[in-house]
Amino acid sequence: MHIPDGYLGPATWITLFLVMLVIWFFAFRNANKNLGPRNVPMLSFMAALSFILMMFNLPIPDGTTAHMVGAVLAAIVLGPYGATIALSIALLIQALLFGDGGITAFGANVFNMGVVMPFTGILAYAGVRKILVRTKMSEPGKRAAAAFVGGYVGLNLAAFCAAIEFGIQPAIAPGYAPYGLSVAIPAMVSVHLLVGIVEGLATAAVVYYLADHRPDLLKLRKLAPRWMEGMLKEDIGEASEIAKKQKAPVEVKGGN
Amino acid sequence: MVNAKLSSFPKKWLAALLVLAVVSPIGILIVWDYGDAWGEWGEVGEWVPQQFWNAPLPDYNLEGWESQLMASLGYIISALVGVVAVILVTYLLSRMLGRKNDDETSG
Repeated sequence: MHIPDGYLGPATWITLFLVMLVIWFFAFRNANKNLGPRNVPMLSFMAALSFILMMFNLPIPDGTTAHMVGAVLAAIVLGPYGATIALSIALLIQALLFGDGGITAFGANVFNMGVVMPFTGILAYAGVRKILVRTKMSEPGKRAAAAFVGGYVGLNLAAFCAAIEFGIQPAIAPGYAPYGLSVAIPAMVSVHLLVGIVEGLATAAVVYYLADHRPDLLKLRKLAPRWMEGMLKEDIGEASEIAKKQKAPVEVKGGN
Repeated sequence: MVNAKLSSFPKKWLAALLVLAVVSPIGILIVWDYGDAWGEWGEVGEWVPQQFWNAPLPDYNLEGWESQLMASLGYIISALVGVVAVILVTYLLSRMLGRKNDDETSG
């Protein structure tokens, strides 16, 4: 899903860079408020994990390959803006050191994998958690099921966006990507409908492990826009709790 | 700014990333005879890909390391270089961002 240089015409990549400038502004402003010493190691771990997950190319029966991204996992642990920052760093290193993904296409790649994927994925995750809240599944089970759907949905919508960016080129920028929407969308979507299962399983596995063994790591302060705080409040709780606890001695016990 | 020191990065997490780096050649070996990912083609027909920058480790490999064994080694080296670079950049970035008075919750 890493779009190289030379495939998106200037109108597309400049637009997506401008869109990213706005989103980066909000993401970094949010990080400036919510990033603390406790979530810096997690931010760097999620960025590094995404970097390395994207190196695991998986064979697709049609002869092409695809890979996981890890952005929804990052969004579940750090909040969607945290995922945007983590993926921006991973994709920057991939583009600059390894030539994976273009430099002109950097904005487009971050938009697809670092914005569309974590934001839609976390919305799906929150939605499924809401549906499952009354079921008798264990808490880690609920979170894992929601994480599977989140990873699946997020990866597929990211791929869908990449397909649209490719597919509109013949119409708006002749000489760049030559395949129209009718080719690009089926090609990208069919591949990621499959790889999404792997993405979902990996996201679910890590979330299950964290919910079961390290629930504290799921309660790190989230970097999320205000309008999402309501739907993430079970996970985001700490932000306000910390403010209250600031005066009181540190309490180790976490509630649910 | 957050004055997070690199030593705050948990050793266990580093170990997990190292394991992934060592097994990362799976990601090229099982797709050795496959084509590129759709949309990730190296070069296409008559277009001139915009060359702005020469990546030091193009395609996660060292120049000329073509065999499966050498490409796997190159892949592991690339994974390690990338992981270290990503972690360093994140810590550097965090120095420009964030709240510093959060020490009592650090752990």
